[in-house]
Amino acid sequence: MSITIDWFAFVQVFVAAMLATVLVVGFYSLGLRLLVRAGRVPVVGPAEFTDAITVITVKDAQRAAKAAAKAARKSPLTPAQRQIAAVGAYISFALCGLAVLGGLLLIVFNH
Amino acid sequence: METATLIVVLVIVLALFFDFTNGFHDTANAMATPIATGALKPKVAVLLAAILNLVGAFLSTEVSQTISHGIIREDEINPNAFLPLIFAGLIGAITWNMFTWLLGLPSSSSHALFGGLIGATIVGAGWMAIDYSVVLSKVILPAVLAPLTAGIIAFTATRIAYAITRRYDTKPDGRDGFRFGQIFTSSLVALAHGTNDAQKTMGVITLTLIIAGVQSPSQTAPELWVILACGITIALGTYMGGWRIIRTLGKGLTDVKPAQGFSAESSTAATILSSSALGFALSTTQVASGSVIGSGLGRRGATVRWRTAGRIMVGWLFTLPASAAVGGVMAVMVAWLGGWGILIDAVFAVVVILTIFLLSRRNAVTAANAMSEVAESGTAVKVTRNPPPTRRQRAAVRDEARREKEGSK
Repeated sequence: MSITIDWFAFVQVFVAAMLATVLVVGFYSLGLRLLVRAGRVPVVGPAEFTDAITVITVKDAQRAAKAAAKAARKSPLTPAQRQIAAVGAYISFALCGLAVLGGLLLIVFNH
Repeated sequence: METATLIVVLVIVLALFFDFTNGFHDTANAMATPIATGALKPKVAVLLAAILNLVGAFLSTEVSQTISHGIIREDEINPNAFLPLIFAGLIGAITWNMFTWLLGLPSSSSHALFGGLIGATIVGAGWMAIDYSVVLSKVILPAVLAPLTAGIIAFTATRIAYAITRRYDTKPDGRDGFRFGQIFTSSLVALAHGTNDAQKTMGVITLTLIIAGVQSPSQTAPELWVILACGITIALGTYMGGWRIIRTLGKGLTDVKPAQGFSAESSTAATILSSSALGFALSTTQVASGSVIGSGLGRRGATVRWRTAGRIMVGWLFTLPASAAVGGVMAVMVAWLGGWGILIDAVFAVVVILTIFLLSRRNAVTAANAMSEVAESGTAVKVTRNPPPTRRQRAAVRDEARREKEGSK
């Protein structure tokens, strides 16, 4: 009885997963970076669960919103440059979504 | 013939029960992070995870085919003797799964299933009834390599996420936005869970149907009703188990920063999905744990707590042989006592399930004593409160010192 192992399959998994993750994380991070440049810093609202923990307090959220508004006011970019950065951010988010969709379609149609 | 039909029904019921516990157990892996970081409300998160597990069950059937047409050599076994062995293997898997769950030991539902089946088959049908080539290449090697792969990828992704969003002034860096992103990445993890874990039960049921002569051996894909039943059961388990995770949030996950969680979940989903496409039967818990450790190490100044990491890994290594031993003992009963053995196994399973259920109710799950295994693996990485400066920060400090020196002259 001989044991054969397809080592190439493991390489395939590593390369495909690495590529997909780097594309998704890279594009999403770039989108956030551009969103910040556009003066639209994302702030998540406060969250609290009765049986668990307070994740973000109202105070934390208010502080983050205040810092975001201050950074937006002091942005050195012109309104046009900010607009371009915002468009770039949304394109990055769209590319991130397309990378996910592409990966899923590959799995469905290769099956 | 009637006994065979009864055993087929029993195996299907037991396999679906295993599927349910799998969903129940693993909801926390997918959805604890977005709930903990405030990205999703618990009710929405749990419902989303359940629906995506169901969808995932339909995406690919490669893993199911690995189990139904790979691990066990159907041509080497006697069909009539083998059905009770699948039953014994399932009881071994469920017993081990519930035992480790009660004691809070790190374990893998998937490996418990493989272990139970392999142990029961070896005892009942001999060593030659197992295709070791498939076991090694599609179960054992992925078990070792997949968490490592996920860890390396999560490490790289975390570095990329921090590098792109890092700011050298004190202005907001926008990393809060990763909390929103986690809604999508954790959904992908739930989807990936459906493509891998629901498949395992489909594989067992398909194998049973082939052995019983209900399905042709040439038909590799599971029947539609099998896919549907397994998908619905795992989704139901996910939904029911979800409420437990709300209590597990007090510990562990609060140390996972949104950028880190986003990278870890992306890596987990990508590794499981690409592995599922090639038919590798993975433990999703192990892959998610590998990602959490890798992403923790991706943060500046992080070091591994080898003792904790070692304890988790020993638990993983132990699962397959331990559940194989339990499955083997159950199979011995069947081999020695025939119909009575099946009855004893069934009674044993009911007693174990009921006892563990009652014990778990007595020891209520609280934030102090409950924690998802993935969250626990996060404690294997120690992140310093004041990470060392980056190269650019060091250069800025040097420049400032030089300017001060020149100014004082």
